Amino acid sequence: MNLFRVMEISGSALLAERMRAEVVSANLANAETTRVDGGGPFQRMHVVFGARPVAHPSFGMSLASFGDLHAENVRVVGLVGDETPPIQRFEPGHPDADTQGYVSYPAINPAEEMINLMGAARGYEMNASAITSIKNMIQSAITILG
Amino acid sequence: MTNSIPGVPPGSIDLGSSAATIKPAAPGNSADNPDFMSTLQGAMGQIGDMQSEADGKVTQLLTGNGQDVHSAMIAIEKANLAFEMMLQVRNKIIAAYQAVSGIAF
Repeated sequence: MNLFRVMEISGSALLAERMRAEVVSANLANAETTRVDGGGPFQRMHVVFGARPVAHPSFGMSLASFGDLHAENVRVVGLVGDETPPIQRFEPGHPDADTQGYVSYPAINPAEEMINLMGAARGYEMNASAITSIKNMIQSAITILG
Repeated sequence: MTNSIPGVPPGSIDLGSSAATIKPAAPGNSADNPDFMSTLQGAMGQIGDMQSEADGKVTQLLTGNGQDVHSAMIAIEKANLAFEMMLQVRNKIIAAYQAVSGIAF
């Protein structure tokens, strides 16, 4: 376990939060999408985060060694579609309307998606400041010698 | 003597005998006891690798090859910190050398 690997853990969180923001943005963008390639309205997507044990150090520059500390990276393990049924709106003139004149819209609440987007942005910010803290820790360790 | 200074094999300085003969440490060493110079050179090589990794990531980022901004930044920061540490070690070695070279005989 060295301090650079702490940076890698936070870096994996940055990647995961970025992917979460991507998925939430796609949900927001497709809140009114009534047709996709497979047919039917757009399905709201959820990201699933999973923990993955940190790999062994790739370089010998261990700035601090704590032995076998159990640390885990985060990664996106999958995208899961929301099973909420689509919202039916009566719009008879719409090209995607069914025989009764109802159009299926995705069950996406833009306000809820905005909250998720804020969560992703704050999570990204938080992990970025964790990296800055680690950087400052390494720098103060180096100045012991200077 | 697991904590002996690399480069000075244990027993090379024989203080027990009455003649007190001091044998100089051999400059070349066996593989299981690498000397300080090769350790330093290895560290330099690792810093060079980190710098070229950062360089490659920045190039990929700027040419739009799908590199993440944060991984390029982390690679730059790692290379920078490793270089800073190497610089401090080098400064310390130079200071030690100058202190020794200032000893008057």
